[in-house]
Amino acid sequence: MQMRKKTNIWIVVTAAAVIVEVWALYVLGASAARWRPAMIVAEEPAARALYEAMLDAARDAETLSYRSFCSGPDSGPSAYSVQLKKPNLVHVEMTNGLSTKVTMVLADGDRVRISWSGDRPFLKVDDFERNEPTQSNVYVDMSGSPADVAGQMARLGVAWSDLVWSPSVFFSGADEFEPYIDGIRLRGTNEASGEECDVIEVSYFKAQRMRHYWLSRKDHLPRRVKEIVRLAGQNHVIAEEWFRVEIDERISDERFAWSPPEGFRAWEPPELEDFLLKPGSDAPEFDLPSISGGAIRLSDLRGKVVWLCLWQVGSPKCREQMRCLQSLHEKTKDTPLAILAVNVTDDRRIAQTFLRDEAISLPCVLDSSEEAAKLFAQGYGMKSSDGPVNFIIGRDGKIVDAWYGQDPHRAPAALQAAGVQDVDR
Amino acid sequence: MRAYELIRETYFRRSYIWIAHLSWLAVYGVFWWSFVPTKTETTGKFILVGSGLFLALTLSAGILGDDIASGRICVLVTKPFWTGKLYLFRWIGLSLQAAVHLLLTGILLGVLDLLTPKNSIEGLGVWLLASWLLFNAVAALSTSLSVVIGRAFNSLLLLVVFVAGYLLMNALMVLLRGEAGAGWLMAFVRYAWPPFELLRKFAGGEYGPHALTVGRFSLSHNVACVVHSLILTCVYGVVGVLLLCRRQFSRVRD
Repeated sequence: MQMRKKTNIWIVVTAAAVIVEVWALYVLGASAARWRPAMIVAEEPAARALYEAMLDAARDAETLSYRSFCSGPDSGPSAYSVQLKKPNLVHVEMTNGLSTKVTMVLADGDRVRISWSGDRPFLKVDDFERNEPTQSNVYVDMSGSPADVAGQMARLGVAWSDLVWSPSVFFSGADEFEPYIDGIRLRGTNEASGEECDVIEVSYFKAQRMRHYWLSRKDHLPRRVKEIVRLAGQNHVIAEEWFRVEIDERISDERFAWSPPEGFRAWEPPELEDFLLKPGSDAPEFDLPSISGGAIRLSDLRGKVVWLCLWQVGSPKCREQMRCLQSLHEKTKDTPLAILAVNVTDDRRIAQTFLRDEAISLPCVLDSSEEAAKLFAQGYGMKSSDGPVNFIIGRDGKIVDAWYGQDPHRAPAALQAAGVQDVDR
Repeated sequence: MRAYELIRETYFRRSYIWIAHLSWLAVYGVFWWSFVPTKTETTGKFILVGSGLFLALTLSAGILGDDIASGRICVLVTKPFWTGKLYLFRWIGLSLQAAVHLLLTGILLGVLDLLTPKNSIEGLGVWLLASWLLFNAVAALSTSLSVVIGRAFNSLLLLVVFVAGYLLMNALMVLLRGEAGAGWLMAFVRYAWPPFELLRKFAGGEYGPHALTVGRFSLSHNVACVVHSLILTCVYGVVGVLLLCRRQFSRVRD
C-alpha cells in the first residue's frame, strides 16, 4: 500500500514536470516569431505625438550628422558615419565588423556614388564570374535619389547590417511605411547613448513589422531604433544605436563633393532582373501547397498563359500588386489566363490575415520551406524578394518575360506576346 | 545526520576546494578593478562563465568517481540508506557551496562598487541567480558523469565536450546555415545542453521590455528560462541516480 502511494506520487510529480517542461519549451521555442493578432498595437495619442515630433525634428533640421552602429542576432555589425544636408546631400561612410575597409556613399540630386578603400566586397548582385574582374579599383555611379540611399545600399548588399532609420525621413519628413501603421504606443522611458529617452513601439502591416524608437527628450530624434520583421519561422531583428548626434551643425558642401578616386574606373552593378529566367527558357516545375488546401502544380496549368507573381506582406508594392491581380483575376476568370500568387517568405497566419482582409481569392501558393525558397532563388533566379517578382509563362511552359516591381506597360505587352489579348492593368 | 555529514563533506573533500573558491573571488575582484567594466553585463557574463561553468567543473571533479574508485562508496551506502540519497546530498552540498560563493561574490562586488563608484552592479542579482542555476545544471551533469567515469575525468570530459561541442556547433551552423539539420542541432544545444545561452539571455535582460534582440517583453519567457533550467537539472540528476543505483547493485554483487 505504502509502495503504491509512493509510486503514485512519483507518477504525479513526473507528469507535472513533463507538462511544465513542455510549456517552457513552447514558450522558449516560440520566440517572438509566433505572430498573433494580439501583437497589433493599439493607437495611443501621446505616443503618436512623440512619433510626429520625431518626423518634425527630422523635417525641420537643415543638417543632421550622427554615427550609428547597426547589428542583429543574425547579421554582423556595421558602423556608419552619416551626414545629411538639405535639400539633397548625403555622405555615408560605413565599415563592416572589425574591417578597416571603408565604403563611402555620396549622393547629390539624382546620382548615388559608392566607392571602396581597396577591393570591393562580394555583393548581393555578384556571382564569382562577375566579381573577379571588377573587384579592384572600381566605383559605382548610378542614378538614384538621396532619399533612397539606404535602399540602394540594401539592394547591393553593401553592409552586413542595413540602416533601419532611412535618410529619406530626413529629406521627406515622412516614414515610408507610415500609411501601414496599425498603432503606436508608449513603452516607458529608457536610457540610450547616455540620454534619457521616451520609447515608443510602432506596429506596421498588422504587426508583421515592429519598430521601437528610443527618442531623445532633448531633440526628439532617435538614439536607438530596433526593427523586428516577422518572417516564416523566424524573426529578423536589427538594432541601430545612434551617438554623436548633431543637428544644424555647419557642414561644408565640399564634404558631399564627388570626384572619382584616381586610377579607379566606373563599374555598373548588374540589375537584379539580369538574374531572372530569360525569355524562352523552361519554367521549372513545382508542386507546392495552396493556401486554400491541396497542392498547385505548374504542369496542371499547361495550355494556359500563367502570370506567376511572387509577393510578400511587408512590401507596399507587393500589396498593391496583389490588389491589382485580384481585380484582373475577377475579370479574366473564364479566359486562358491563370494568375498564380506565390509567397515563400511570410508567416502563414500573417499572409492569411492579409489575404482575408483584402478579400483576395486568387490561387495562392504559401510555402516557407527551404526547398520552395531554393526553387525560386536558384530555379527562377530570384536574387531578392523585395517587391513583386513577375513571370509570364506561355502555354508551352516557357518564360515569355520576367521583371521586378510594377510596370504598367510591361505586363500587357508580355501577356499580348503570350497570346492573351485585351488585358488592361 | 548522514545527510549533514555528506553535505559537509563536499566542502572539505579536497583542500583545493577552498583555494578554488578564494581564487575565483580574487579573479572577480581583479577583473572588476582592472578591466573597469562599465556595464553589469560584462561582469555578469564573466561570473556566469566563471561560477556557472568553471567553478562547477572544478568543485565536482571526481565527486562520486573518487569514492567509487576507492571502494569507499560501499561504506557510505549501507542499508537502509537509499543509494540515490548519496547523489542527492552530494549535489546539494555543491549547490550550497555555489550559493555561498555567489553570495560572497555579490558582497565583494558591492563593496568594490562602493570604493570605486562605477554604478555597474545594477541587475547583478539576476546574473548571480542565473550563475547559480547554471552551476546547478552543470554540477548535476558532472556528478552524473562521475558515476560512470573514474576519478576526476568527469569534469575534464565535460570541459572538453563543452569546448569542442560549441566549436563544432558554430562550424556546423556556418556550413549548414539554412539546412534543416542545423535547426535540430541548435535545438539540441539549446535545450538538452546546460542552458548557458538561455540563462545569459535571461540575466542580460533580452526578454525585457527594452531588449534589442527579441520581439517583446515576456514575463513567461523569463519564467520559462528558470523552469527549463531547473527541470534540466532534475533530468541530469535522475539519470545520475539511476546510473548510481545500477552501479551500486553491481558492486555489491561483485
